[in-house]
Amino acid sequence: MFADCCRIIHKDLVSEFRSRRAWPAMLLVGVVAALVFSLQMDLLPHEKPRLVGGLLWVSVFLAGAAVIERSVAGERDDGCWDGLRMMPIAPGALYVAKLAVNFLALLALGCLLLPLYFLLSDLPLLSHVRALASVALPACLGLAAVGTLAAALSAGNGRSGSLLLLVAMPLVFPVILAAAECTRLAAEDRFDDAWWRWMQLLWAFAIVFVTAGTLLFDYAIEE
Amino acid sequence: MKEHDLPLRAIGLTKHFGGQAVLDRIDFDLSAGECVAWRGDNGSGKTTLLRCLAGLTRPTSGEVEWFGRRIDGDPAVRRFLGMSAHESRLYPQLTLRENLLFAARMYRVPQPAQRVDALLAEVGLAAHSGRHPSQVSRGMGQRVTLARAVIHHPRVLLLDEPFAGLDEEGARWLWQTLTAMRAGGCAVCLTTHEQPAACQIADRVCELRSARLNEMETDVASRRGDVHVSVFPARKAV
Repeated sequence: MFADCCRIIHKDLVSEFRSRRAWPAMLLVGVVAALVFSLQMDLLPHEKPRLVGGLLWVSVFLAGAAVIERSVAGERDDGCWDGLRMMPIAPGALYVAKLAVNFLALLALGCLLLPLYFLLSDLPLLSHVRALASVALPACLGLAAVGTLAAALSAGNGRSGSLLLLVAMPLVFPVILAAAECTRLAAEDRFDDAWWRWMQLLWAFAIVFVTAGTLLFDYAIEE
Repeated sequence: MKEHDLPLRAIGLTKHFGGQAVLDRIDFDLSAGECVAWRGDNGSGKTTLLRCLAGLTRPTSGEVEWFGRRIDGDPAVRRFLGMSAHESRLYPQLTLRENLLFAARMYRVPQPAQRVDALLAEVGLAAHSGRHPSQVSRGMGQRVTLARAVIHHPRVLLLDEPFAGLDEEGARWLWQTLTAMRAGGCAVCLTTHEQPAACQIADRVCELRSARLNEMETDVASRRGDVHVSVFPARKAV
């Protein structure tokens, strides 16, 4: 299973590297969202530490939706998805492979947006790089897990873009909330019990969504 | 998998789309080495039937078994199945060789690179292996699609209009490949719009009409291509 996942991940990354279709769009949307949100934050300078976390993770999800949607919808072109489903690979493994690619994309986006928000908000985000990296891992995993499952559901209905956000938004809300709180507490230099509780919640959401996605993917891709 | 298990069996297969039955209680068996051709008008449900048999579309009711096992039970059983459809199923960003190599590795074909190179040579596309699907003609793409379907030496082959888009050379290759695979015990199902080649290679011809599959009159000579199934005009063997 691991080897099969690696082959699909490799194929997806090579395809994206050659087409440069989804990732550049994702990075562009992320940068634009960061710029717009940072301008809005300037209207409330004292509230910046409270706002930055939520805006950062909403930016990551909204920008990442382009890549997540293409990860499944792109396979529908030329019937490639059917070809993949015909292969002797468990649907759960297929989900894990798609999830891994989306996770990498969101992580790359986070690596771009975190310093950008640091520059635009003048908050000491980069002085807590390790803490924020430990937030980014479960946050990106949770967002990718929900997004991949929703992308499979929406691609099956032939309404990829709109349905993805519609299905995923309510589900990613707890992930974004937990990630935003962890980021806010880090920006306020508060690594107390509250920070740990949000971190535990974030990991719990990520694990639940990955497990649910692995189990439900077979039904999600059904026509 | 037991040797006496039928490669493919459909029991009471029914599929409704929007309340309308496209397939209605279809029972179907396929023995090892047998070739069955399905004919039917556009929209008669040939592709839906193939997709149900391949496990790509879940039937409204009924069951499909491959080698005695439920189709949705064990993904490993898919290793025995090859399928080609209307779409190329080739990744546009990968070259023809990379597409076949990806499939060969996913099916765990021994020595995948050698198998891919040999197959590309067989279909006459060795010189074009570095091209992308968009850079070759439809017929060439169809050859690669068919090569992809047989790359792992499947024991059941489902082909949707396999001769469509093929030139004479491609059709000959397909004919020879199917003949050789059937001799090795591979069972073949193909859909057709009355293509002579498809009907001549089939042991049985079935017609899909009004959501039902009806076996048509055949005789032994039709297998040789001398005389043919009643609905098809007589033709000479290729």
